[in-house]
Amino acid sequence: MKFLEHEAKSVFSENGIPVPKGFLIHSADELAGYLEQLPPEFVLKAQVDVGGRGKAGGILMADRKNGIENAKALFGKSIKGVAVKEILAEERLEIQHEYYASIAVDRSTKEALILFTEEGGVDIEILARERPSAIRRASLPLLMTDIPPFMLRDLLGEAPREAGKVLQSLYTAFCRKDAILAEINPLVATPAGLFAADAKLIVDDNALRRQGISCNRDMTDREREAERHGFSYVELEGNIGVIGNGAGLTMATLDLISFFKGKAANFLDVGGGADQERVMHAVRLVAGVPSVKVIIVNLLGGITRCDEVARGIIAAGISQEVFVRLAGTNEEEGRSLLSERGYRMVGSMEEAVRAAVEAVR
Amino acid sequence: MIYADKSAGIIVAGATGRQGAFHIALMNEYAKTVGGAGVVAGVTPGKGGQVASGVPVYNSIREAMADIDAEVSVIFVPAAAAGDSIMESANAGLSLAVTITEHIPVHDTMNAIAFAKLHDCAVIGPNGPGLLSPGEIKLGIMPSHLFSRGNIGVISRSGTLTYEIVDELTKAGLGQSTVVGIGGDPVVGQTFSDVLRRFEEDQQTKAVVLIGEVGGALEEEGARSTDLPIAAYIAGISAPPEKRMGHAGAIIEGGEGDARSKIERLQKMEVPVASRPSEIPGIIKKIL
Repeated sequence: MKFLEHEAKSVFSENGIPVPKGFLIHSADELAGYLEQLPPEFVLKAQVDVGGRGKAGGILMADRKNGIENAKALFGKSIKGVAVKEILAEERLEIQHEYYASIAVDRSTKEALILFTEEGGVDIEILARERPSAIRRASLPLLMTDIPPFMLRDLLGEAPREAGKVLQSLYTAFCRKDAILAEINPLVATPAGLFAADAKLIVDDNALRRQGISCNRDMTDREREAERHGFSYVELEGNIGVIGNGAGLTMATLDLISFFKGKAANFLDVGGGADQERVMHAVRLVAGVPSVKVIIVNLLGGITRCDEVARGIIAAGISQEVFVRLAGTNEEEGRSLLSERGYRMVGSMEEAVRAAVEAVR
Repeated sequence: MIYADKSAGIIVAGATGRQGAFHIALMNEYAKTVGGAGVVAGVTPGKGGQVASGVPVYNSIREAMADIDAEVSVIFVPAAAAGDSIMESANAGLSLAVTITEHIPVHDTMNAIAFAKLHDCAVIGPNGPGLLSPGEIKLGIMPSHLFSRGNIGVISRSGTLTYEIVDELTKAGLGQSTVVGIGGDPVVGQTFSDVLRRFEEDQQTKAVVLIGEVGGALEEEGARSTDLPIAAYIAGISAPPEKRMGHAGAIIEGGEGDARSKIERLQKMEVPVASRPSEIPGIIKKIL
């Protein structure tokens, strides 16, 4: 789950990283109470989780005179389709230099990948493509509690030693928060020292419970409902509903749909050992999406019992046509249950996809 | 056959849970048909002395090892304790910890893998179906009736899609040497290149099917590391960016790991990539 800027900043601050003085406001009027505590010139930053927020108009300069007016304007906006509900009013920094620092989970080394560059404030992916040598990197096993001094020296180069403290604190925050990514871009040098001018923190979805986070904001309502049933669910833009078991098989089903020039409405993985109840909920969930014209059920299982699956499909009692591919335990029984009630049975997943694409044409 | 042969005794961690008990029975059924050692002990802390699917249960792996001979573990314990179970396996001297458990926090996985490495214990998974060497050994949850013995190695990030492709291979008369599900998480123990290295040393394996997904670059890394003839399939060509497609590892992030560029990179290395799972047997026959 992605933390918003102000949330990430408070995590970083708790771990000893200096952040600009700021206040979170939920309405323009709320700003009035903070004007005295803010310096005469400050910044209003929309707390929305979108890339390129500044260019999209999500950041406004402000002073004591126009602050409330500008905050009103920003609250009325939507930034790349996301309504502004919170604004971080923050002191404006006197920027002398911008650095970049991040720590991320690296799939390849299975360690923490630490990145640092003197050329902060830019899109790091572009810098990595165009001038990879400008970015210094180090890999650290998570078994380590601190970044060793030699590694800090290698990372920092000519940067002030204070930046080493920031990296150390960032690593502590990364470990404590079960982070996938902890990033400061830019890390700003000012006459008063270094500050994290922006902050990004992504926490591992598998660790939300032990981090005391009960609700994953990144999900839509339907995705959350799917999660309650134990399904993995992603909404897409087509008209063919898809239910499969296993992420790979379900993805391959979507790919076949696009191979045959159809458009999938969703990705739904019911998980292992689905019974009647779960299948029924899955079918109803997908059938409830207004754009869904037909549904493909593609279940291949050692453990999954096909008669249970068939009963689940029948119990869902939906109006759309369902194309069913079943393979596994009690396959014959499942097939005959469905055939008796007029459901279209198909032999392979390719056949199921072809038939569904044909049906919506 | 790689990682373990039929003589390897198996410890199942998380033996008394529904999944653990169920799969002990299936693994032992398989061991019986091939004359293997099978599951010799189960482990669940606090449940020592019980019996799970006919197998004695111990409180710890160390306790079990005092009584029985085992080389590998298969882990079904709940996510919050699964990392611990990997480390316990390594610490007890097992050479392989096959981790079926899903939803393990990634930091736990990283720590457990690093610890296991210090003890020379290979980790397969987490969040995978395990491995199966037809006629030798089954470690995990793969449905064995779809498999047949032969000389094709299979490495995959997914479960059911692997069964789908194994089924296609078997029907085309292409038996398998070992099928390894490396797991659908972003960080997994044995990656494509680790498994390929084992296949290179394996007399039985003549060609390898690599079943990948969107996310990361482990598929390309693997393909680059080997001289074995390989055929690939990458799932997720229709996956939108930033969306997790079921597997925690199947996500296109920062413009990286999308299927199209993955496929292009593989093709540049002259690896044939199937556009549908059903094309794989044909490609394999060509490159053998």
